[in-house]
Amino acid sequence: MSSNSEPPAYAGAAAVPLVVANGRRARLTRALGSSGAAYVFLFPWLAGFLILTAGPALYSLYLSFTDYDLINVPRWAGLDNYMRIATNDPKFQDSVRVTLTFVLLSVPLKLAVALGVAMLLNRGLRGLTVYRAIFYLPSLLGTSVAIAVLWRQLFAGDGLINNLLLGFGIQGPSWISNPDTALYTLVILAVWQFGSPMIIFLAGLRQIPADIYEAARMDGASKSRQFWRITLPMLTPVVFFNAVVQTIDAFKAFTSAFIISGGTGGPVNSTLFYTLYLYQEAFGYFRMGYAAALAWILLVIIALFTAFSFLSARYWVHYDD
Amino acid sequence: MSGFGKGRSAALAGVAVTALLAGPAIAQQSGDIRMLWWGSQPRADRTFAVIDMYQEANPDVSIQGETVGWADYWTRLATQVAGRNAPDVIQQDYRYMFEYAGRGALLDMMPYRDEILTLPGVTEADLESGMSDGQLWGVNLGVNSVAMMVNATIFEEAGIPVPENGVSWQEIKDIAIEVAEKSDRIEYGVEDSSGYEPSLHNWLRQRGKELYTEEGELAFDVQDMTEWYQFWADMRDSGATPPPDVQALDQRSIETHMVTLGNAAMGFANSNQLVGFSQLNEDEIVMRVFPLVEDSTSEGHFFKPSQLLSVAASTEFPELSLDFVNFFITDTEAGKVLDVERGVPISSDVRDAIRPELDEDGLAQLEYIEGLDPYAGPLPPPPPQGAGEIDQMMIQIGQQVAFGQLTPEEGAERLVSQAESILSR
Repeated sequence: MSSNSEPPAYAGAAAVPLVVANGRRARLTRALGSSGAAYVFLFPWLAGFLILTAGPALYSLYLSFTDYDLINVPRWAGLDNYMRIATNDPKFQDSVRVTLTFVLLSVPLKLAVALGVAMLLNRGLRGLTVYRAIFYLPSLLGTSVAIAVLWRQLFAGDGLINNLLLGFGIQGPSWISNPDTALYTLVILAVWQFGSPMIIFLAGLRQIPADIYEAARMDGASKSRQFWRITLPMLTPVVFFNAVVQTIDAFKAFTSAFIISGGTGGPVNSTLFYTLYLYQEAFGYFRMGYAAALAWILLVIIALFTAFSFLSARYWVHYDD
Repeated sequence: MSGFGKGRSAALAGVAVTALLAGPAIAQQSGDIRMLWWGSQPRADRTFAVIDMYQEANPDVSIQGETVGWADYWTRLATQVAGRNAPDVIQQDYRYMFEYAGRGALLDMMPYRDEILTLPGVTEADLESGMSDGQLWGVNLGVNSVAMMVNATIFEEAGIPVPENGVSWQEIKDIAIEVAEKSDRIEYGVEDSSGYEPSLHNWLRQRGKELYTEEGELAFDVQDMTEWYQFWADMRDSGATPPPDVQALDQRSIETHMVTLGNAAMGFANSNQLVGFSQLNEDEIVMRVFPLVEDSTSEGHFFKPSQLLSVAASTEFPELSLDFVNFFITDTEAGKVLDVERGVPISSDVRDAIRPELDEDGLAQLEYIEGLDPYAGPLPPPPPQGAGEIDQMMIQIGQQVAFGQLTPEEGAERLVSQAESILSR
């Protein structure tokens, strides 16, 4: 629609026949208004969202104010669950600390590795598709139980990692069963699954026009200068997208800690991810109401992080429009 | 054999399968029921075989068997019960069963004892473990007890005799140091059991205490726990047990047990797990009773139900479900299929029938349980709600003490105060 000029005389004239025409589509539009038609098309998705997502989510919000134990009828408990989480739950504090540490370490590292590999693959290699598939493989397998089991073997006291270290004369600890190092093995496992941000970075790199680099080279910009002044700024929308998605994923991490610690979050709660604690409360001790309260607190934490990302985005994300 | 020919004896069903006799005396059963259990593939094979036997004897009955591993089992059961979709016949664990019973999810079997759940060859004492307040929530599937697993091969190679039943903890400490010195295959003699609730339980009982009272309160105090943690700190300092980061590899499974991993020559587990230990270890594993404390009451052990069979309160076919439970536990042919993989059967008839067919490990398990009397006392009261959580906490605080984050006194105080707070929830 063109702006700030008077609407030409024919605009109305053209629109009138559309409204008074007696076609079937026009009747529908008349009955619903033009946004109504949109809702008709949206209906399948909307129904799924309301029945499968919003409904259960609101029900769990209700449950978080009850003492539901999975078997008996939920009893209203008011703010009891939230009060206990806030004032009298050392395990909650442990799990928040572990999860934040995990997010703050694994997300930046993962993005850095993903970008690095994407840059390597962007050099127009022969057989790019093969390499891309190979590097993507860990992400396909990463959430699987088998990989978590493999990780246990790698980082055990007599595992592969320590055998490699022995070659250098270093006697490594038992990484996965030591509270000082167990969480870092999970961070490495997460970083190793850099496949999906890598693919997105690769697509982003392809979007950067080659002539910009060419101009920079003519002006004698070094490789690193090209990266900091062209590649990274041009990629910021992709970095932003990946950062938000990966942060949300990291908050929700569960499988690796569940397998590697045998469901305990041990040793000494060092791998007690928030989701793992939630799971223990819900299915280990049948405190569904309490677990629902924990889940809603997690939702708020993730929402805050995401909101912060969006607010900060205006200062560092460049959309070339 | 009591009640033979009086109504429908479960043993008849087994005979019917083999001798193709006519059906049972009671009206023909019909209906569809589901059974859920946890366990390994060998257990699944045995269980499905018994289900098939029952279905052959009762052609109008269909039994759906479902099985998952221990870790996923409680999630699945809880969600099925919550979704009004509970299995009719449920394999239960001694700790969890009362949590379910207390929440009204299980059927009281007592009213069916005369007619359907006749349980020939089973004494009332065998059923005690599934009862509270005169109601029967589950029937014991097999008897087991905690046991010390000893790698006999390592002792033999080291030229040290395998410790006998009835040695003291002090002697075990010395033996552990000696065997670790003389064996070139292991570094430590005995596992660190400071976070293993059954070990603590045995130790408390030998001192005349308990884990929980009848009322569901703690039956031990900070002083007991302090001594327990100090004892294990001394074991670690002397090199008898592995350091905490090695011990923390243990995830309460046979695969991750210190003995199986080859880190220790002796460790602690359940007697029915001998079958699994033998399968996973090339070395010969033998069982001994737990070591004795000073001035022991000799009542540290008790005959524990390895698992129980319960029936859901929501079942549409209570009689059919209970009849199947009766068959599963007392039919001699079914017993031969089930072996002692779930523990030693509680029916004397089944025990007598399977004895000649047992292999070495099965026999060892049977003899261990039969020879346990001098070291066993009465059954402890059923664990209160929250016991499962306290068990998890014992692992964690035991590790905190072992890693030096807490002194034994601090660990003891924290454990007692947190356990009391869990029990009061």
